[in-house]
Amino acid sequence: MEQLFILTLDASNFILAIVLVAMGLVIIFGLMNVINMAHGEVFLLGAYTVVLVERAGGHFWLGLLLAPLVVGLVGLVVEELVVRHVYHRFLDTILATWGLSIAIKQAVVIAFGPASHTVTNPIAASIEIFGTPYPVYRLFIMAVAISVIGVTFWLFFRTAFGLAARGVIANRDMAACLGIDTRRLDRLTFAYGAALAGLAGAVMAPIMSVDPQMGLGFLIPAFLAILVGGAGHLAGPLLGAAAIGGTDTLTANLWSPVVAQIVVFTMAIVVIRLFPRGLAGRWLGR
Amino acid sequence: MTGSTRRTFLKTALAAGAASSALGLGFPAIAAKKPIKVGAVQPFSGGLELFGNQAKLGLDLAVREINEAGGILGHPVEILYEDNKTDPKTSVERTTKLIKRDEVVAVTGPITSNARDAMAPAHGRLKTPLLYATNYEGGACGRYIFSFNTVPNQELAKLLPHMNETAGDSYYMFGADYVWPQKMFETAEGIIKRLGGKTVGTEFTPWGVKEFAPIVRRIADSGAKVLIFALPGADGITFIKQAEDFGLMKNVTVAFLGFSEAYLGAFGAGKGQNMWVTVPLVSSSDEPGVQDFVARIRKNAGGDVTISHYVMTHYNALNALKAGLEKAGEPDREAAVDGVAGLTIDSPTGSVAIDAASHHVTLNMYLAKTEGAGLDTVRALGSLAPQSGCA
Repeated sequence: MEQLFILTLDASNFILAIVLVAMGLVIIFGLMNVINMAHGEVFLLGAYTVVLVERAGGHFWLGLLLAPLVVGLVGLVVEELVVRHVYHRFLDTILATWGLSIAIKQAVVIAFGPASHTVTNPIAASIEIFGTPYPVYRLFIMAVAISVIGVTFWLFFRTAFGLAARGVIANRDMAACLGIDTRRLDRLTFAYGAALAGLAGAVMAPIMSVDPQMGLGFLIPAFLAILVGGAGHLAGPLLGAAAIGGTDTLTANLWSPVVAQIVVFTMAIVVIRLFPRGLAGRWLGR
Repeated sequence: MTGSTRRTFLKTALAAGAASSALGLGFPAIAAKKPIKVGAVQPFSGGLELFGNQAKLGLDLAVREINEAGGILGHPVEILYEDNKTDPKTSVERTTKLIKRDEVVAVTGPITSNARDAMAPAHGRLKTPLLYATNYEGGACGRYIFSFNTVPNQELAKLLPHMNETAGDSYYMFGADYVWPQKMFETAEGIIKRLGGKTVGTEFTPWGVKEFAPIVRRIADSGAKVLIFALPGADGITFIKQAEDFGLMKNVTVAFLGFSEAYLGAFGAGKGQNMWVTVPLVSSSDEPGVQDFVARIRKNAGGDVTISHYVMTHYNALNALKAGLEKAGEPDREAAVDGVAGLTIDSPTGSVAIDAASHHVTLNMYLAKTEGAGLDTVRALGSLAPQSGCA
């Protein structure tokens, strides 16, 4: 029972971390049809915003607050300069954003050096759960992820902006005919997706090494989660992350991380083969 | 008198001419000897730039000192840096280019084992020495390969007995899933058995994993007293951070393999303390040779740079090449191999002996631990011979 509870806690933690990264990605990838290869680097910028704030003497919380704003702004600029020119050329979005990812990474190396930086853990305490210590900060990350999910769903399903955005996704030309400013929506959606990635980077920074390569570690499971969950629906990454993160933690716990990776990738292949539109596409329809 | 002077002059001129043609330099060589080129294939982008930059610090100083002291056999030395982008395929392209087009006498580098293994056949085929100066798993052998850093037994032979004495005799081994940690753990296993200790778990993780909660938990549950840790780079830092959060570091003492000063400061203030290592150089050491070396590197680099053993081993590699070429008397590739094999050179930490058969080095090692923001020498271990894995 205790074992099961701790296992569930570890799994939920990993699943929510993936969701946090995948949410921004699915908004840009699934809804705008742009495969954002630079998503990991946007995540990176979020973490480095915190590093910068801490260096300037600011506190972690200030950095956490600033990160989504700064990174959202970067997203706005990137959309204007690069992404909007390739919306209708699907494959070119991969090339353009990949180039962007290399540029951002090397810019970070030039500005901060290639070494690892550290971000202080703002909640160093841990609580006892069934006799084993559990870091409180991890609970905080889970809370942030749940809030992000809540806000995003509210934004897309309960507001006028969300209605318009979903209209543009469903039929861009028709939405434009009805007087919706599609340019403005593209811009805002991209910036929102980027801001989420920035927030994810900032909130994860205290529990991992902050270095120019850090984006990749969560980007791959996030991409997998979207593929497995389905890109067409906001609920896709939730299902996908649950499948990927749950399987990974369970296998790593019972067996080993090496086997876990094999199992996760195999599962992803099988799911994509059986449900090409992902789990959400299968169950939620569109 | 006059005649005799002229005869002496002629003799000298003839001798000089003979000597320089023997060197294969053509006749007017003495006027302007052409530079000896040495290649350096190192990661300056793509993930391991930290280590590429460490290598460059050592190589830059070595080149400068050699040239200020009159070069090698009167030739100035020139080092040609190539960025391998932390990628094996690029490494092969870069080293082939250096050997064929730039006609380098030898190549130093790379950092990773996969890049080295990719480059080695090209070096064998093109008969050009590869001066590798990174600690690795052993077994890279051949006429054209030299290793100037440690192999597993040199890092473990004194470290584990110390752990056994001070921390406990039950071990958990955890590392990245590739050849270096696997060979390290194999060697460790043998030493642990001889010490009468027991291994309660061995585990590997793929690269790029960022979530270590399940493993941290398993290590804690195993009741191991010592964690033998071989997960290099950012993943290693992430693991230590998470292990700190879960309170693992209170119950387990870490023996950190492949550690260097490059990691310092990455764990956060007051974190990553009391981790034990054995390394060929501790830059905070009070040995006069080390202090002098550190001062020279900082002066040459023009700043307060981090200095790890990679700086020294690459510095040693170039100095060994110089000594080898001077011993052989010719600045060419075969002479470099013949000259360097079996050589003993001076280094910042004392003498370094290059084995004539295996081309691996016997060098002084130091037991050290992380304390505060630094790496502190606990004691000098004296010189340790390599078990190179060469037949």
